[in-house]
Amino acid sequence: MTMAEKPKHNRSALAAGRKELREIVETCEAISERKFNPFFLDVKLGVDTLRKYFPYWEGFNDHCLDAHTINRLSEVVRLQNTQLKFQSSALYVDPEFIARKIERMSEKRLAEIFLRSWHPLAQLEQLTKEAVANALDYWNLLLPIEERWKRREYPQGKRPGEAGSDTLTGLGIHGEEFSKQLTGLWNELRTLHDSEHRPIDYWKFVRGQSYSETVQRAYFASFLITYGYARLHSDGNQLTLTPIDQPLEKILPGAVSFPIPIPREQ
Amino acid sequence: MRAMESTETKSFYADRLKRAVHLLLFRRGKIPGAREWELKEKLGKNYEQVLAQLNQLLSELDLEIKKVSEPRSEETTSERAQLPKEEARYLVTLKGTLGVKEAKMIGWRIDNLSALSASIAYLVSKQGKASHEDLERLLAHKFGRWKAVTLVDIFLRSGYLEEDDAGILSLGWRTRSEVDLRELMTKMAEAKT
Repeated sequence: MTMAEKPKHNRSALAAGRKELREIVETCEAISERKFNPFFLDVKLGVDTLRKYFPYWEGFNDHCLDAHTINRLSEVVRLQNTQLKFQSSALYVDPEFIARKIERMSEKRLAEIFLRSWHPLAQLEQLTKEAVANALDYWNLLLPIEERWKRREYPQGKRPGEAGSDTLTGLGIHGEEFSKQLTGLWNELRTLHDSEHRPIDYWKFVRGQSYSETVQRAYFASFLITYGYARLHSDGNQLTLTPIDQPLEKILPGAVSFPIPIPREQ
Repeated sequence: MRAMESTETKSFYADRLKRAVHLLLFRRGKIPGAREWELKEKLGKNYEQVLAQLNQLLSELDLEIKKVSEPRSEETTSERAQLPKEEARYLVTLKGTLGVKEAKMIGWRIDNLSALSASIAYLVSKQGKASHEDLERLLAHKFGRWKAVTLVDIFLRSGYLEEDDAGILSLGWRTRSEVDLRELMTKMAEAKT
C-alpha cells in the first residue's frame, strides 16, 4: 500500500508517532546530560509507545528512529541501574543536602574536612633524556630577549596633543571665558523658564546648531547642575531642567552622578 | 642450605624493591605511578609480593602503595572493581593525612582546598557527574563568579576533575587516587554548619 492509498487516520498516526518518538529521544538525551533524574522518564510507557506506533512505520528513516529510541531508552535504563546501585552504596547523599552544607560551611571547615580524607601522591620529578632534548630545542629556538621585547612593542601612533591654559580659555572651558559661558547659559535657562512657567526639556535646551555645539552646551549644563544653579529631573525618558535662583553652596545630600550619552542625531 | 636460600631470596627482593621504587616514584609520563603490566614486566610474575614488601617499608615513612583503576566510562566504584587487573595503576600516596599548616607549606591555599572539597563532594552526590555550569554556579555562591571559573580550570588541569566533550564534569584520576571519597562524604554529612 502506498502513502497516497493509506487511510487518513494512518497518516496522522504516523506523524503523531514520529513526534512522540522524537520527544522520547529528547527526554532521554536530557537525562544522559544529567538535566533530569533517570527516573523522570517512564521507560515502560516509552516502550509501549514504540509498540503502539511500530505497525505504522513506512520507510527506512522511521525504523532508524525506532531503533534510535530503543537505544536511548536502554541508556536511560542503564542510568537508572547506576543510580540504584549508587543510592544503595555508602556514598549516597542527597545533592541538595550537600549543596546546602557547602553554602553554609566556612571555607576553613570545608578545607579541614577535605584534608582528613586526602592522601596526596608522592612522586619525584626528574629529568629524562627526552625532557632535556625538548628543553634544548626550546632554548635553541628561543630568540634573544631584545628580539622578543621588540615584538611586544606596539606601533607608535601620533601622540595625543597637549592643550595649554590659553587653548582651554579659547575653547571656553577655562578661566573667565568659562564663567562667562556658564552665566550666559544660566541666564538663558532662567529666561526660558520664566517665559514657559514649567521645567525646560533638557534636550530642547542643550541642542545646538551642530553636534559639537550640543556637546558644549551639555557640558556647561552639567556644571550648572553640579554647582546647584539648575536641577535635573528624570521622569522615565523625559529629562527636564529647572533653574535655581539661589544656589546652595554645598552639594545636596543624595546627589548622584547621572551620565547622559549624547547621540549624533541630537 | 636453608640460610643460603633465604639470603638469595632477600637479595632477589632487594634488587626488585629498588626497581619497584623507581617505577612507582619517578614520574615518567603524564600520570605518576606504574601500570600493572609494567610492574609485571619489570618485576616478574610475583610483583605483588614485591609490592607488599615495599609497602611494609614505605608504611614506616607514612607512605603506602595504592592500586587505582584506570578511568573508565562508568562512575561507580563497584563497577570499577570488576575491571580486569591489567587496567590498574599503582601509585605511592601519603598513608596519613596533612594538617592545614602542612597543606599550606606544600603550596595549597585554604580557599582552593575548600573549593576542591566542595567540588568533589558535589560531584559524588550527583553520582560522579555534573555539568560544568552547575558546578561553577555552586562555587560562585561561595567564592565569586570569576574565582569559580578559575578554580574549576585549576582542578581540571591538575587532574582532580575531568570534562568530556559535552561539558560534563566527572572525578579525575587524581581524585580517584588521592581522595577517600567515603571518608569525605561521611565527614561532610556529619559536619555541623
